[in-house]
Amino acid sequence: MNDFGQHSRQRPGKQGSRRLSMIFLLTVSVLMLVVSMYGARASAFEKAREMVLDLFEPVLTVFSMPINWVDNRVGDVGDYFNVLEQNEQLRAENAELRAWMQEALTLRQQVDYFKQMMDVKVADEASFVDAQVIGESGGPYQRSLIVNAGTGDGVEVGDGVIGTSGLVGHIVTAGKSSSRVLMLTDFNNRTPVFIEGIEVEAILAGRFQDDPELKFLATRDRAGIRPGMRVITSGTGGNLPRGLAVGEIAGITDEQITVRLFAQYNNTDFVRIVDYTFAEADPEQQEELEGGVIEEGGSPAGAAPETQAAPVGSAPEAGATQDAAANISTPSATEPVDAAPVAAPVAEAIAESGDVNG
Amino acid sequence: MVEERPFFTSVARAITPTFLGFIGVLLLVTPVRLFEGGVPTPMFPLVVVFFWSIYGPGYVPSISTFLIGLFQDLMLGGPVGVWMVVYLLVQYLVISQRDYFLGRDQHVVWLGFAICGAGAGLLVWLQHSVLAGTFVPVLPLAMQMLVTIACYPIIAIAFSQLHRRVIIEQ
Repeated sequence: MNDFGQHSRQRPGKQGSRRLSMIFLLTVSVLMLVVSMYGARASAFEKAREMVLDLFEPVLTVFSMPINWVDNRVGDVGDYFNVLEQNEQLRAENAELRAWMQEALTLRQQVDYFKQMMDVKVADEASFVDAQVIGESGGPYQRSLIVNAGTGDGVEVGDGVIGTSGLVGHIVTAGKSSSRVLMLTDFNNRTPVFIEGIEVEAILAGRFQDDPELKFLATRDRAGIRPGMRVITSGTGGNLPRGLAVGEIAGITDEQITVRLFAQYNNTDFVRIVDYTFAEADPEQQEELEGGVIEEGGSPAGAAPETQAAPVGSAPEAGATQDAAANISTPSATEPVDAAPVAAPVAEAIAESGDVNG
Repeated sequence: MVEERPFFTSVARAITPTFLGFIGVLLLVTPVRLFEGGVPTPMFPLVVVFFWSIYGPGYVPSISTFLIGLFQDLMLGGPVGVWMVVYLLVQYLVISQRDYFLGRDQHVVWLGFAICGAGAGLLVWLQHSVLAGTFVPVLPLAMQMLVTIACYPIIAIAFSQLHRRVIIEQ
């Protein structure tokens, strides 16, 4: 095609100094790589990530505009051709949803009634921050999204992120005006989940592919799992509220159980960030608890009420919470109580995945 | 001639390749989702580093390569250093083979880019495998590198037009 540039040779002296600077910068890069190997969330890098996100948030917004525009147009043309079919489908779905709505309303009333009867302290309602997806990780080994809401909007690291149909991931980097969402499919993502139907907890772990797998399951629990069972967030760890839809059991083999996610990555354009704080025990209830435990015979579980309020920290603490909860008759609605049988492995897993994501 | 050229024009020309590298990273993190996300976005910065390392190494000094790599690592949100090492090594190798590439037919240069892309891919795979402590799947990376290599001729034509008509135009 062309052969330009063949006369532009460099002087040897310049070449030597270039080689030197290149080797120097290469050494610096390798050093940075080693640092990120030993501290994936090293604070200096984390600060840099936040800064870069904030700095380029407006640029990314501008970049994603034409793409959204094209996406919408393409979608419109497709809709035009099967509008009749879609209409019928939507009618059927609407009828079904109405029936569900009635049932949900009845159930909500029932739950309210029971709550009142039992005088429980429930978690504060989560509040939501809506955000637009302005970027995604285009690298082969990272699955993350960049959204245009940050600490200025009330977003915090660890907050859950839901799309239109289910949980997408959680916040790992929060800048002032934008933040990064680590998706459930990322290799470094660990999410405590709960499998409906057999009532067991597990950890959902990404594996570089579309369907993440379940980990930390006992063999006897494993046997009961059937395809199609619903998987929801368990609320263990205190970052996510309990009951967000995650997906359903897809493939079951001897080695692994995979979960098909409800959230569709390809049409995740808008997300909601779930701002949630873990329920704290009522001060009155706490005193009652403390008194009760000491009367029972001065068991060493005196610190139990505090651990109840805090997220599940380590295995022995979770055990103590269980003991204390079993000793008292006043029901206290905190997660660790019904999570007790599996609390130990789950807590370990959470502790392990402390500085996840690299 | 050169003295008559306004200062900002020459500066703009000098930083254009680096600027393109940064734009390439931004394109990488833009949710383009070609074919419903089935086709990954090509690695534009790799093409930028490769192309100007052959035809005008002065336009992408190693500090530019370093910054493009750093920017990409920070933007992707992964471990810092992976792409910096890859881009700098690619630049080092290409500059050392520059005399061979200069004046060659574009098909040969394309082949050279393919070899570079494969090597870069292998290096990225190795780094991620070491960082993850397990062998990471090859497929997503191989797909992205194949797309990049397939796109190279088109991007190279655009870059060579830009290089000849705008950047080194006297």
